Amino acid sequence: LKRALGNQFLGATLDTFASSYKVSRAKAFEGIHLDSLIAEIAAGKDASIPHLEELFSAFKDRAEAAGIRVHVARTALEANTIIADIARANQVKKIVKGKSMTAEETFLNHHLEEEGFVVTETDLGEWIIQLRHEGPSHMVMPAIHLSRKEVAELFTKVTGRQQDPDDINGMIKVARKELRQAFLEADMGITGANFAIADTGTIGIVTNEGNGRLVTTLPRVHVALIGFDKLVPDLKSALRILKALPRSATGQLISTYVTWINGPTECTSAPGGRKEMHIVFLDNGRLALARDPLFSQALRCIRCGACANVCPIYKLVGGHNYGHVYIGAIGLILTYFYHGRENARAIVKACLNCQACKAVCPTGIDLPYLIKGVSRTILEAEGKPPVKNRLLKHVLGNRKLFHFLLRGAYLAQKPVAGGGYLRHLPFFFSSAHGFRSLPAVARTPLRDMWERINPRLDKPRYRVALFGGCLVDFVYPEQAQALIQLLGKHNVQLEYPMEQTCCGLPAMMMGENETAREVAVQNLKSMDPASYDFVLTLCASCGSHLKENYPKLCGEDEGIGLKVMQLRDKLIDFSSFMMNVLQVKPEMFEGSGKKVAYHAPCHLCRSLGVTREPRELIQTAGLTYLPAKDEDVCCGFGGSFSVDFPEISAELLKRKLDHAEATGADLLVTDCPGCVLQLRGGMDQRSGRKVEVRHIVETVGGEKP
Amino acid sequence: MERDERLKLLKERAEAVQTSVSDVTGLQQAFLYAVEVTRSQGGSTIAAPALGPEERSQLAELCRQAEITLIVENVRDHIGKIQTGLTLGDWGVAETATLVLDSTSEDVRIATMLSETHVAILPRSRIKSDLMELEAELSESMKSAPRYLSFISGASRTADIERVLTIGVHGPQELHLLILDDELTGEEP
Repeated sequence: LKRALGNQFLGATLDTFASSYKVSRAKAFEGIHLDSLIAEIAAGKDASIPHLEELFSAFKDRAEAAGIRVHVARTALEANTIIADIARANQVKKIVKGKSMTAEETFLNHHLEEEGFVVTETDLGEWIIQLRHEGPSHMVMPAIHLSRKEVAELFTKVTGRQQDPDDINGMIKVARKELRQAFLEADMGITGANFAIADTGTIGIVTNEGNGRLVTTLPRVHVALIGFDKLVPDLKSALRILKALPRSATGQLISTYVTWINGPTECTSAPGGRKEMHIVFLDNGRLALARDPLFSQALRCIRCGACANVCPIYKLVGGHNYGHVYIGAIGLILTYFYHGRENARAIVKACLNCQACKAVCPTGIDLPYLIKGVSRTILEAEGKPPVKNRLLKHVLGNRKLFHFLLRGAYLAQKPVAGGGYLRHLPFFFSSAHGFRSLPAVARTPLRDMWERINPRLDKPRYRVALFGGCLVDFVYPEQAQALIQLLGKHNVQLEYPMEQTCCGLPAMMMGENETAREVAVQNLKSMDPASYDFVLTLCASCGSHLKENYPKLCGEDEGIGLKVMQLRDKLIDFSSFMMNVLQVKPEMFEGSGKKVAYHAPCHLCRSLGVTREPRELIQTAGLTYLPAKDEDVCCGFGGSFSVDFPEISAELLKRKLDHAEATGADLLVTDCPGCVLQLRGGMDQRSGRKVEVRHIVETVGGEKP
Repeated sequence: MERDERLKLLKERAEAVQTSVSDVTGLQQAFLYAVEVTRSQGGSTIAAPALGPEERSQLAELCRQAEITLIVENVRDHIGKIQTGLTLGDWGVAETATLVLDSTSEDVRIATMLSETHVAILPRSRIKSDLMELEAELSESMKSAPRYLSFISGASRTADIERVLTIGVHGPQELHLLILDDELTGEEP
């Protein structure tokens, strides 16, 4: 992992790619109502997934009538064996392959080579990594981790002639020539498929290079290896997916070639002039997965790779470190189901829960939630939760104990606290955690000063409950103080239900759903949404957890379930409250004109979908908003993520602060105390000019009207 | 979408994927275009396997004058020597600048996969706004096996080396669409 972080070429390439991908994807989807398209694809997939076996049987009837031999492989080994048997039965020596993630899943090449066949990958990227004896580092661009120099060295070795790294066109010609020979000599072609259409027995293959067409045309035998999840009922479903797949994968409106094959076609190199065609359907856990109420969603995946493209962690470490065979967010999930716990255990923890993948997925898979689900399943299966999980379960489950410990922390930190930060980290943090200063726990938590600082209003316009969350309550009570001052001027009465506790997100992030549920119930008992006009929170993470995850945790419970839904409807973030409820106007602010950069918290801009209001509020309040690069990319906090993966967290933070500094702003403003902790702590450790980090409530409220 | 709008969109989208689009008034003009492209690229062979007997002799005459070899069958035997593959498209799709080509014949497949340049003649009346508009027709043709249908939207491309877009890694390096005026009146058919 550290090596990957130190690989400058990889870091720079993936960073440039992530930026250009965002632009080209947005352009490709112009004029399309994306939310409806996603909903349609998801609904179509969800309708098919419980009926994959029926779709298969319809497909099989059609395909066999057309002269295709259809096989079922229950496991990866079975698939490889079936394909090797087909090759032997047809006296095959040489095989050409089109790019197929399913074949990567079964390690088909390895098996065929062991059996003595000569296998040549014909997709350029796949060919390059085959020559290097590597696996793909991206589902769509398998060789994205390599520089032109590395490819030139490789091609020099392969051809015995010096290759110029700056003549990419020339290197492409080398591949064209070498691979053309392989096509002409091959006896058998192997492809995957993007679609298997049940009502016509057609397979659909999406490619750009055109190698898929050659693989299915020149050799006398064609074998397609297809996962059961690629079955769709009809062409309409396939075309709907095709509308999203290339746009989402590479920002193309359509890939250069889409090939639809029904039955063995004419082939003059085959005996009898007709191709021999086989389709192997791979189960390898898919049919069991299809029956799982939660995880079946993962079968919606159409392998576009978008979840890797936008993942801040993928961007830093690349696919060889972020997945096993399948890569990116979906890879963390599928690895567990297709390649087992051993391969999934470590990587599944590496999720910031920043929601970037979920926001970009063209089939609407709730990827971060499924990743946490896999994490939980692994914990349960292994039956030995780590110490921190046991502690957390014990402590969070009991509010009084939890808050007692937090108060105690103020005294315990005294010897190391200075200027609002912990100046020496406790021994259990390694030096890797020194990239940011950790804030000191406040002397008096918000709950203890609440009655004193929160005036009672005569005839308030609104009654609003404040959900504090641990950070505002115990670390940054001044953020709530700023809120009280500001809202008081607008005649809004705030309340602080005292029995509220941690929102429970940290428990869910560690896979402790039972604890998360208990905490949710505690909060709902403490705070009846029906008693207030709104429930406001200054913490985007708490807010998104309350709104999105409470319904999943206890939305079905009798009694409490109703309150969960009421809470969801009344929950609001600070900026939306100011702009949409109070409808503040520029004349209400003095306006300092200070230059302000903004960091969009993951849980605000994606989970809660609030993007316009904070930026408008900054400008309405008379500040100068300076847009920064990658405003909506995670700051690297991710709760306990930053403790488990300090190197990744540090690198994300560094980039974030660089971008903020580059705007020339005086202030860096955000609306989540978790992000404040990360950003302010990181800024404290930097040398040179420091940009002051503030919660947006302190910025807007700080200017006296 | 009106006919002219569809055509305009097709041309716009084609340009974005480096497909060249030209209007032709008849087959003779289209054939001349194919001969001219072949000659200008220094080639000497055209593979045109799917023409009717009349068109075939029309093209053969033009090729003879230009000293170009015309291949109409057993295209596999000429792999490595085909400069231009000439085809008659089944449908066009404006939104994605896609040529829909029934490629069930092996000769058609090889002519369009292993030539340097693919020239496709596309009747104007066969251009649809988007792929969904063709769903019924395509689904119907998929019901009669064997069938090999191709959507072709530009030249063979890759971005596998440092994400630099490069043309012609496997298939043709150029795609030319010739829009054939097959509508006698300006009205919608």
